[in-house]
Amino acid sequence: MPLNKEVMNIDPEKEADRICHFLKEYLHEYKREGYIVGLSGGIDSALTLSLCVKAIGSKNVFGVILPEKDSNPISERLAREHAESLGIEYVVENITSVLEAFGTYGKRDEIIRKIYPAYSSNHRIRLYLPENILEKDSINFFSLDIMEGDEIVFSTRLRRKDTQVILAATDTKQRTRMMHLYYHAESMNHAVCGTTNRTEMIQGYFVKYGDGGVDIEPLAHLYKTQVYSLSRHLGVHQGIIDRPPSPDTFNSHVSDEEFFFRMPYEKLDMLLYAWENDMDEQGTASMMGLGTEQVKRAFTDFERKHTASRHLRILPPNMM
Amino acid sequence: MTDGSDDIVKTVRTFIASNFYLSDKFKELDPDLSLMDTGIVDSTGILEVIEFLEEKFEMVIENDEIIPENLDTINNIEKFVRRKKGL
Repeated sequence: MPLNKEVMNIDPEKEADRICHFLKEYLHEYKREGYIVGLSGGIDSALTLSLCVKAIGSKNVFGVILPEKDSNPISERLAREHAESLGIEYVVENITSVLEAFGTYGKRDEIIRKIYPAYSSNHRIRLYLPENILEKDSINFFSLDIMEGDEIVFSTRLRRKDTQVILAATDTKQRTRMMHLYYHAESMNHAVCGTTNRTEMIQGYFVKYGDGGVDIEPLAHLYKTQVYSLSRHLGVHQGIIDRPPSPDTFNSHVSDEEFFFRMPYEKLDMLLYAWENDMDEQGTASMMGLGTEQVKRAFTDFERKHTASRHLRILPPNMM
Repeated sequence: MTDGSDDIVKTVRTFIASNFYLSDKFKELDPDLSLMDTGIVDSTGILEVIEFLEEKFEMVIENDEIIPENLDTINNIEKFVRRKKGL
């Protein structure tokens, strides 16, 4: 099929039914009685919850909201409201003390203090990649902003080791959430339902054994724009639909686009589709109103992220 | 070797060979080989290359200069270093 805007179109009713069937089959096959869904206040987990409820009813779906001190308070409010609108039981467990005990904040802050000795609890931080790759070519590297209120008081490119330690510490948030989700799943004989979509899966925008540590991934075949259309169809909370997607892992706002994707979802999904289907750069560029160089840059970025994240998508190799 | 190009190539090649995993396929480390497309250096690895270049050649690499044209092959790195150092 040539690249055109229709490639992202789905029949939402049929798609919802197909996913519901998939969700029901899993429970039957693996003898589980329901689903646990971790609710972040974002669109992927909200849609996952709606689909689980549509598939098996609200009685057998349990929501778990796991905020920590860096989470945007709006996230918890939206997650609660969506859970309540679907009539499911849910629990809110603040994981800050678990993360403190592990040293998540301490390990991260030690690096930040080394870079900016005046760093204190009054500051907020954000990490981000270079600007939109369609506008300007650049290799991916993380920069750190330290903010006081809305003002950036310090900004720097992160060194390799510092990037690795900050990201490793941050990833313990998702892994701690996974541990909580499995506690509830095992105690209720439920399965943990994942929320990773295709756009994220292909490029490795998830944490192995964190948000990637789940029993089933019902959204992994849907691009983010398709997640939006299915969410609108299933009546996901409008506040969640309208909210800019964010990892919500730093205490100063950073969007998914700034933190990882480097372009808006509408362009990203179409370009990703073209890349996955080996479409030629010139034809893709002309259809999307972009230059061939811009498409080349996007394809190169996809290829590199896909290759670099291969290990996230496989089971541990073994010699059995 | 009059303009130091060979020295730069050799220095960078030695650094990459000692600090990154090279599969048998890339052991030769052709100076025109894309370091990122081959996966020899990933996006965090390139930061280590930058840190090495800054220290070794006593120069500051600006964010705007972190582009494939300057850093994706050993030959590109050599040209970039020479340009920065006015060699």
